[in-house]
Amino acid sequence: MDGIQIALLGAALAVGLAGIGSAIGVGIVGQSAAGLVTEDPDKFGQTLLLQALPGTQGIYGLLTGFIIMQRVGIIGGELLPLSVANGYAFLMASVPIAIVGLLSAVYQGRVSAAAVGLVAKRPEELGKGIVYAVMVETYAVLALLASIMLLFGIPV
Amino acid sequence: MPIIEMKKVFLLGHRNEKELVFDLLQKLGTMQIADIKTGSTWDEFEALLEPEHPTESASDFDNRLSMIRYCLDFLQRNFPMRKSFLQQFTGAKMELTRAQYGAYIEDIGQVKELYESCRQIDDELVQIRNEETQYTNLISEMAPWKNLEVPLEETKDGPFAVMRLQIIANDHLEYVKGKLEKEIPNAYLEVISGDNEHLYFFFTCLAEDYQQVLEIFKEKAVTAAAFPGFTGTAKNNIDDLQKKLENLEQKRAAALNKLEDLLKYRLLLMACYDYADNEYRKLDAVSNLARTDNSFLLEGWVPAPVVADLEYTMAAKTGTAIVVSRDPLPREEVPVLLHNKGPADAYEVVTKLYSTPRKSEIDPTPYLAPFFFVFFGICLSDAGYGLVLSLIALFMLRKLKLGGMGKQLLQLLFYGGISAIVFGVLLGSYFGDLLKLPALWFNPLEDPMRMLFYCFAIGLVHIYFGMGMQAYRNIKAGHPFSALFDQGFWFIFLNGLIMLLLPDFSGIGRYLALGGAAGLILTQGRSQQGVVKKFFSGLLSLYNITGYLSDVLSYSRLLALGLATGVIAAAINSMGGMIAGSTVGTVFMVLVLFGGHLFNIIISTLGSYVHTSRLQYIEFFGKFFEGGGRSFQPFGIKNSYIDVVEADEAL
Repeated sequence: MDGIQIALLGAALAVGLAGIGSAIGVGIVGQSAAGLVTEDPDKFGQTLLLQALPGTQGIYGLLTGFIIMQRVGIIGGELLPLSVANGYAFLMASVPIAIVGLLSAVYQGRVSAAAVGLVAKRPEELGKGIVYAVMVETYAVLALLASIMLLFGIPV
Repeated sequence: MPIIEMKKVFLLGHRNEKELVFDLLQKLGTMQIADIKTGSTWDEFEALLEPEHPTESASDFDNRLSMIRYCLDFLQRNFPMRKSFLQQFTGAKMELTRAQYGAYIEDIGQVKELYESCRQIDDELVQIRNEETQYTNLISEMAPWKNLEVPLEETKDGPFAVMRLQIIANDHLEYVKGKLEKEIPNAYLEVISGDNEHLYFFFTCLAEDYQQVLEIFKEKAVTAAAFPGFTGTAKNNIDDLQKKLENLEQKRAAALNKLEDLLKYRLLLMACYDYADNEYRKLDAVSNLARTDNSFLLEGWVPAPVVADLEYTMAAKTGTAIVVSRDPLPREEVPVLLHNKGPADAYEVVTKLYSTPRKSEIDPTPYLAPFFFVFFGICLSDAGYGLVLSLIALFMLRKLKLGGMGKQLLQLLFYGGISAIVFGVLLGSYFGDLLKLPALWFNPLEDPMRMLFYCFAIGLVHIYFGMGMQAYRNIKAGHPFSALFDQGFWFIFLNGLIMLLLPDFSGIGRYLALGGAAGLILTQGRSQQGVVKKFFSGLLSLYNITGYLSDVLSYSRLLALGLATGVIAAAINSMGGMIAGSTVGTVFMVLVLFGGHLFNIIISTLGSYVHTSRLQYIEFFGKFFEGGGRSFQPFGIKNSYIDVVEADEAL
């Protein structure tokens, strides 16, 4: 196996796992939001905002995948000859956002779904519901930061 | 002072002018009326005064309100007024000029009539719905017998023979048939139709045999169907019913047509609702005051700067009303009104989303405003995006004419956009890398560690500022030593630790860190009993260093979000670049660039806003701000549906 395949596995995991997490998280919120909107269609905007929150992990994953693709030259340049060791370096750099993105999106989805319940009874407290959800996202942001720093640190 | 000082106001007047006084108060909208019976001075007054109750006209308005609410709900149910996506956040009100509004109010007498008509149509619709269910049920019951030639009225028990319609589970037919053939050869059975579960059959036999037949039927749970009161075949009846259903449908359309004619009164109803609601609240507010035979006393809170206005208005417009004010007593719960001048006003929304400050607290708004401005800019950090965001916010401010928190939020986004332009220019990002202009300062994509360092530094300033605020609070509350012990020693200790990391300062840093730590160990256990306990809880308090560490590390999100904006933008640009070339490709490229960047602006703005807010709430407020005050809610005109505007502004 060449280095490039291993690096691409890293990109695939970052995009895939974080994306799965976001899909689950957004799905959870969507279900409770739809329940609320049957009662009160005017809450669509507010609940859509809450539903968008666990979607960011997928974007962070895509971002990480994109940086890997750019660094190895899949997009915007020549394909670099990668050693196996360098390939593994890319794979490992993608691990933080892949794993943390997957799990944090699911839990952020649960918090956001609970916040939908909060908005149902007290629409004026949307801000607080968002803050609770953002507390979870912190760790996805930190994982993204770790992944990005690792990726920029790999000498190619 | 960002928190406006409040005065407790007592208003005394003659009972003849009670309505006038409340009218004036509502128009001024500067007084939060307090229930005098729960006030601190009620004990002194109780012997002299009686509580007042709302008059009958209040319940008149209440009745009218429930009628209007019913009509509006009914109209909304059948002819919903859609709110646009934006209006769901901002609320949508109709704009009317004062003259139009007045004209509608004149017609408030029509409400009763409209209510009667709505009620009538509603009853009609309910009736139609009931009949409809009845007919559809009958149709589905008769459907299996559609092919039966025997008229329904003949399926009955005669003196000599019995004719019946029977239903049986699919599997049991063979058994019943076999048994009947064996035991009652005179019986006749014909299957009319069947579905997945049941078979429907016509059955006839001699009356004398029927007892025996019933035994067999019971064995396999055969049930009977009967349609008493119907004549003719099932098919004829079904056709009849279907015709009736069509009739009902026409009736419903007619009823809805009638209702649609009433739609033109919706605006009238809305205007009357707002009017009646305000009148009702005015009349109901009376229950907060106390009276003697000829005078009344009212208690409330008024912002100190407008007390003079109130006094003036009362003196000018009434003959008897007297306003007396005093400063709040220490135990009284005073409502809090925030007032910030200039751009800081927009950032009130951040504070209010967390909590209204207490009366005795500092309003954190002006202090968080500059940090919020800078953090938001670093998170978005793109000159192009900032420009677009500012323009959108400005456009919406002009177009929507919001008040209160909606307006503040838009202003906040406008300033955020400006901040993003500044940082975009400094860090060299224009729609990602669409315009390849050099950074004025440095590009964080090339040197992320440097940017991370700056993020931590600015975070440290933010945290120190919060600690400084708490120290100030302590000193103001008369605890200068608490300020020294709880904030001063931490400040020394933290700075010492940081200097230890810098080679040039490590010498001083060591002493500072040790001195600060010693101070903390000696003082942090001061609330404990006994020397040993004091020492150990002092020692344990050093563990809080992890809290400060995680607080500072938390500011790394500024870098992460900034990078995310930039890299996603770059990704959109390179996707656009891949399909460019031919004419069709270029068209698609423009679409990809437009859609992609718009998406990125929305998602990045959302991220910037929520994460910047979080840094204020957790890292900054955690140091000094408690909140939990009650906000000032003046008695004034409140409209749910109508915005009264001056004539030249109306659409």
